[in-house]
Amino acid sequence: MSYIIFNDKHIDLNKGQTVLSALLDNGFKIPNSCRAGACQSCLMQSVEGSVPETSQQGLKDTLKAQGYFLACSCVPTTPLQIALADTSSLRIKASVVGHDLLAKDVLRLRLKPEQAFDYRAGQYLSINQNNSIARSYSLASVNKLDNYLEFHIRRIDQGKVSSWLHEELQTGRELEIGQATGDCFYVPGAADQKIILAGTGTGLAPLIGIARDAIHQGHSGEIHLLHGAIKKDGLYMHQQLITMTNEYPNFHYHASVLQADEVKLPVRTDAIDKIVTDIAINAADWKAYLCGDESTVNTLKKKLFLAGTSMGNIYTDPFITTMD
Amino acid sequence: MSSLFDRIGGTAAVDAAVEVFYRKVLADDRINEFFDGVDMEQQINKQKGFLTMAFGGPNDYTGKDMREGHKHLVARGLNDSHVDAVIELLGATLQELGVAAEDIQAVADIANSVRDDVLNR
Repeated sequence: MSYIIFNDKHIDLNKGQTVLSALLDNGFKIPNSCRAGACQSCLMQSVEGSVPETSQQGLKDTLKAQGYFLACSCVPTTPLQIALADTSSLRIKASVVGHDLLAKDVLRLRLKPEQAFDYRAGQYLSINQNNSIARSYSLASVNKLDNYLEFHIRRIDQGKVSSWLHEELQTGRELEIGQATGDCFYVPGAADQKIILAGTGTGLAPLIGIARDAIHQGHSGEIHLLHGAIKKDGLYMHQQLITMTNEYPNFHYHASVLQADEVKLPVRTDAIDKIVTDIAINAADWKAYLCGDESTVNTLKKKLFLAGTSMGNIYTDPFITTMD
Repeated sequence: MSSLFDRIGGTAAVDAAVEVFYRKVLADDRINEFFDGVDMEQQINKQKGFLTMAFGGPNDYTGKDMREGHKHLVARGLNDSHVDAVIELLGATLQELGVAAEDIQAVADIANSVRDDVLNR
């Protein structure tokens, strides 16, 4: 059994218990969100003692070297003295420069960071409501093309942060954001490879960023973007995407709506996992980006892999919803 | 005489075989239920470890790992017929990749040698 020291308090850990769970159990308020090592909201720093490698997965080498780790995936085997990460250098201020609805429940939020901000289209970052509540959202903008950060935020029933962003936030307000992270982005190098980007709901946000980024970086192979929704108003970028197909000859847009009775748009009505393999014929030749609802992403991943796409050519950004 | 692992093609052969093998496993109704809901990237890494071992390559598999790693599957009904299916698919994979029949047999023998550990008996 190991222990941690935090704020001069000695806390014993139960077998298998994470640092985050022990701190929360002891009444400390620690920012956290996904509790799966993805969002990096619970970033902490080891002052004394070494942390398990698994708790540093996904962190930049520079952060690892400074003893940063994720409390939610840290089960220490040796005693640790830890501190909240000095996030002043990691979090930056941003002001709201755009706040409007793309659909009834989808907010388009545009932020302007106070300082130079580096990211790749398709990555995600945390938006902090205050010091203890943060949520991760995927970027829909492209660094070199847009002079703002754009997010598509679906309002979650009972969702603390999404309700706040939808209802209380206004243009001109300031908030804090974390660094961009995630490995679902376009890498130049195989300009003629066929690309399929598929997702449902606001999974479209990173997909549209990745597609525009690929085009901007000179991708010449076919790019197919597939957006699935339950009802037609879920196709919240329909017109913009049709415009894109007219502008770029190698860009193709496929829309799918499950509830067929109310559809008057020229879209398909089968589930997107069926359509994906219809588009990606000879799946071994394709590179795939899959974003949005976690179970849909997993289904699509399996389907493409079984059809012949190499796992190394499948990039995913499954959205994890946090309720507490 | 070169080793089995070298004859098959070493780590490059493991990389070539793992996706072919995993596709066969996921498509096979005799055994694919045991792979429902697992993280596919992690599973591919585990299978690389398994293939390296079965190809006679360097590995640090122990009987204890094999037992621990399959305990929850034995509780769900994993038995000899499933191990047979895996070894069959392993053979089919190697055949596709052009490995000689006697080397395929040698791989099957290595895979068979951990059967009792896998089945926790």
